[in-house]
Amino acid sequence: MSGRARIAAARAAPLSLAAAAAVALLAAGAGAYELRLLAIAGCYALAVLGYQFIFGRVGALSLAQGAFFGLGAYASALLALKLGWDFARSFPAAIALAVALAAVVGATVLRLASHYFALATLAVAELMHILVIEWVSLTGGGNGLPNVPGFVLFGWAVPRGWPVTAFVWAFAALGIALAANYSRSLYGDGARLLRAEPLAAAAAGIDAAGRRLAAFLLSAAFGAAGGALYVHTLGVVSPEAMQFDVMVLILCMAVIGGRNAVAGAIVGALLLVHLPEWFRALEGWRYLAYGAGLLLVIVAAPEGIAGAVEALWRRRLGNTAAPSGRTLVPDAAVPAARAAPFAEDRAILAVQGLAIAFGGNRALAGVTLFVRPGEILGLIGPNGSGKTTLLNLLSGFHRPDAGRIFLDGRDATRDPAWRRARAGIARSFQHGALAGDLTALDNVALAAYGIRARAADVFRLPGRDAKRRRARDAALSALAKAGAAGAAHTMGADLAPAERRRVELARALVAEPRVILLDEPAAGLSDAEKAALRSALREIAARGIAIVVVDHGMPFLIPLASRVVCLDAGRVIAAGAPADVIADPEVRRAYLGAGAVL
Amino acid sequence: MSWAQIAIDGLALGAAYALVALGFVLILNAAGAVNFAQGDLVMAGGFAAIALASALPLDALPVPGLVLAPLVALAGGGAGWIVAEVAYRPLRHRPPVAVFIATIAVGIMLQHGANGIFGAAERRTPPLVSGDAVVVGGVTLSLQSLAIVATAAIVILLLHRLLERTQLGRRLRAAAEDPEMARAIGIPVRRLTALAFALGAGLAALAGLLLANVYFVTPTAGLAFMLKAYIAVTIGGWGSLRGAVIGAFLVALFEVAAGRLFSASLADALLYAALLLALLFKPEGLFGEAAGRRA
Repeated sequence: MSGRARIAAARAAPLSLAAAAAVALLAAGAGAYELRLLAIAGCYALAVLGYQFIFGRVGALSLAQGAFFGLGAYASALLALKLGWDFARSFPAAIALAVALAAVVGATVLRLASHYFALATLAVAELMHILVIEWVSLTGGGNGLPNVPGFVLFGWAVPRGWPVTAFVWAFAALGIALAANYSRSLYGDGARLLRAEPLAAAAAGIDAAGRRLAAFLLSAAFGAAGGALYVHTLGVVSPEAMQFDVMVLILCMAVIGGRNAVAGAIVGALLLVHLPEWFRALEGWRYLAYGAGLLLVIVAAPEGIAGAVEALWRRRLGNTAAPSGRTLVPDAAVPAARAAPFAEDRAILAVQGLAIAFGGNRALAGVTLFVRPGEILGLIGPNGSGKTTLLNLLSGFHRPDAGRIFLDGRDATRDPAWRRARAGIARSFQHGALAGDLTALDNVALAAYGIRARAADVFRLPGRDAKRRRARDAALSALAKAGAAGAAHTMGADLAPAERRRVELARALVAEPRVILLDEPAAGLSDAEKAALRSALREIAARGIAIVVVDHGMPFLIPLASRVVCLDAGRVIAAGAPADVIADPEVRRAYLGAGAVL
Repeated sequence: MSWAQIAIDGLALGAAYALVALGFVLILNAAGAVNFAQGDLVMAGGFAAIALASALPLDALPVPGLVLAPLVALAGGGAGWIVAEVAYRPLRHRPPVAVFIATIAVGIMLQHGANGIFGAAERRTPPLVSGDAVVVGGVTLSLQSLAIVATAAIVILLLHRLLERTQLGRRLRAAAEDPEMARAIGIPVRRLTALAFALGAGLAALAGLLLANVYFVTPTAGLAFMLKAYIAVTIGGWGSLRGAVIGAFLVALFEVAAGRLFSASLADALLYAALLLALLFKPEGLFGEAAGRRA
């Protein structure tokens, strides 16, 4: 087992064991009613595990999870009642139907801003609720339909009582295994970065839209699976399975249990299904506790019970849990850079007449510049002159109003950010955009070029661990080049500012880019750290990688840059050798100040 | 039923929705987040009116609802202030979705609290003014609907004056637009944000009093009100007060007309379908967005 997987397992193991023990304990000596409650908790656990993909991992507030649960319930029940299908057929059909609906909905509404996404998913859910009430001939309307058969597989009926409970929890266990695999995969790491720093994720080559859609489809599949299991456990299907209350319950379970931890889904489902039973004496009032619990947890423990337990656990183990198992040694065989043969005089990145306005403010008014392989281009100019905007346009975060961007001679103006990252444009951010809940090593590994995560990594397929290992090896060697090998096992949130910058540089390097865009990499560094950074950047450039550096520190930039371009009010006012540019009277007037001493 | 009556009913419903949607936008702009409890505050306003009516000797009065209105609005305002302190303030530095979820929690508590106190049955508030109908130009019109339109119109005008003409309104808008800047020039942002929640919730509660006489109220009615306000704000332009009022009237007229032509639930289904289409083709709202911050 590799380092992080082992750490993850060490963290997940106690909770998973505790959950399993709780299920066993609740099942031991339980009557028919308690067994059924436990089975229902298993159904909800699946739905919550699914909800974690979209709401927890990628952070999109979907309000359709209850509807997917209800759709699974209705589809499986109606196929059994109307067509006489057994569970072995109705279950996969119900999941397929929900995934198909999610594909249609997701393809259209996932691109919306978050508050519209929440509204649109809620509208879809309400439409489906109305549909099952009004389509009386099919669904039995408001009363629903009784006599939904139990679990029948190829003619064999799962006996009532504990076998049904075990049957449901077997599916829940499968769901747990899949979700745990997702968390441990490069794919899951990418989702963490996507949630924490969407722009950095795009710059690391992660296709946000694709990831969100995959998460939404997974959530629908798990939701429908939970609903299908639920309806055959209960024996009736009614609009209650499609009500907004189901959505609220799943949301409460996810938030209270912990929206990002697999164990959280289990804890949340078990707790909230049993809570009302423990407070039976309170009658209708006990549901008030859901609301109070939800509010309390969202305010006091944003990562829920599982997150709070994990934080305690981490504090006991110490912040930087050293990896056990195999030692991590930089692999000399990992290529330093994609050694494409560059024509020395040919620009790797060139822009022509780039212009963009935000509102009425013209941030860039026709910028033309280029950078050659192995060259370090310094970008200077007063605040607001358009330097960061230019980097953002080069990264593909904004579409220019006019002008074109060529990468290695190919027009990349219309490429989205993640595609440009894959084509070889890497970058760092002013504020150090890392996922706080991943180690520095894994922050870097998830951007490793050619070892990119695919949706298939969610499953434990042959070669997945090898892929992860290769990514970590590449990451370690990049960290070493950036001078941050010592911080490899520190969590992103615990890195010192200077370390964050080096880790970001390593992440840019690991993608084996052809161009690296650095936004104020030296800000806040000591003189010694600046000197170290300068020599690291020179080494990178010496391998044929083009570097564009934005920085205000002339003593840092001038000795480093091969050429300097000065922007003012969105235009290039000077370009050329560093000494010439800073001696330019217009540059001194606009930026350096007439009496500037360098 | 005459078309004139349908129009008045649509106007009355739209006027009440406009209050809910205005409150939604006031809170949205102040907190930068959706208040998902807005509909449950409408419901709570209806029940507060019912509770007050049974405690006060209103039967003899010609205008029982009008007497209750300021009391209900005040109670709603108090509730809004509490929501700001418990569900917004601790979360103000976290992503807007945290506030969204916290207000879902508030909604759950209001819903089950009302269920615990009043039970699940339909209840109705006293009428704004006693009497059944008036005849205007040979057309018989519901007195209640006219009173709702008049009351809401007065409240909206007062709110407009408050926001546009007073120092308090200007500070309120400044605090919503740029809290850091507002704080830097000495505006008490914390109190003004709480005030925005109080105003928003007070408007919702007042709408609850207006609506629950004609349409009755149940503890689970909040979701539908919240959805209508959310839709009104979306089509009217996210963050725009004027757009919220326009959106509310559009939603209400659509609901009343489609309800007359088909059924109430089909009208809702058509409304949600129309919303989805609108989001698909005009994701920035029919009249553009006014607020940059997202929830």
